[in-house]
Amino acid sequence: MAAVATEVVTPTRMELLKLKHRVNLAQRGHDLLKEKMDALIIEFFEVLRRIGEARKSALKQLSLAYRALSVCSAVMGTIETRQASREAKRELEVEISTRHIMGIVVPTLEVERVERDALTRGYSLHTTPSVLDEVSKEFEKALGLLVKLAELEESARAIARELERTKRRVNALEYILIPRLKAALKFIEMRLDEMERENFSRLKRIKAMLEAGA
Amino acid sequence: MNVDRVLKFELSRLNVHLPERRISLKEALESTKPQVATRDGSIHRFKREELDLLAKTVPEADWGRLHLPILIALDPKLGRGVARITGGAEAKVVGQILGKKSTGEELLIYRPEVAVVRRKLPTTTQYFFVPG
Repeated sequence: MAAVATEVVTPTRMELLKLKHRVNLAQRGHDLLKEKMDALIIEFFEVLRRIGEARKSALKQLSLAYRALSVCSAVMGTIETRQASREAKRELEVEISTRHIMGIVVPTLEVERVERDALTRGYSLHTTPSVLDEVSKEFEKALGLLVKLAELEESARAIARELERTKRRVNALEYILIPRLKAALKFIEMRLDEMERENFSRLKRIKAMLEAGA
Repeated sequence: MNVDRVLKFELSRLNVHLPERRISLKEALESTKPQVATRDGSIHRFKREELDLLAKTVPEADWGRLHLPILIALDPKLGRGVARITGGAEAKVVGQILGKKSTGEELLIYRPEVAVVRRKLPTTTQYFFVPG
């Protein structure tokens, strides 16, 4: 690694100053990117924790909803339940905006109101039993939870991508760029010291020769 | 030299998520769409429930002094994992959330505390990387 660095540098004071500036910049970049990586890890684990909770409650709610659906199918009959579900049409308005976590754009989903009352669901209240209302209510609750889960999962994906990118940069700085620059810096310093020593001994020799001549 | 350019670009991108102008809690509560425009031109929206939480935590007299998003400044000079909250109202509200006493215009918090603050206020706080 040191060989690569020393092959291209010219051992001058100007180059030494330039290199010192570059080392400072690289070190500053490394420190800041490392801070960013730490912050991303905090965010990532937080999102993972929330995903765990959201998934657990969504699964619990879905299980309740499917159980209610089984009861409803038993009471109403499968064909009638399916018919009622076809009648109950809806458009769910989801407002998708964004929020930023250190430059990563993550979606924020806001749903106005997922749960409806029995009158607005669309199926006939005269021909359907109350168990159908129960099923609808449970599935509507599950839908709200699934929207929340989708938001969190997309956030986790975006954070993971950025984390990978940042880690690659931090590693490149830590293990390649900074050591190379430091090696080049050391090489120039040693070369300059060597040149100074050569100069000193040359001057001493000249002085000795002049004194011998006099 | 290309590497330096990439690094400079990377450093310049660190704070693009910060808002062009911060808004006060009062403005955010009065707005139908509480949001700020960020430096890269996109929109950052505050969640209503967080604004309500802040409104409950902060006395009404301070609503105009609390600027959103609250900036969690990460400065490598402070050491790894240390963050700084500046501003009297901001430091006070973060202190209250963490159960810490904040007296001045500044509050220093540590990594586990940053996680707690971010958990409670994910949209009304933002990281700010302090260039050296």
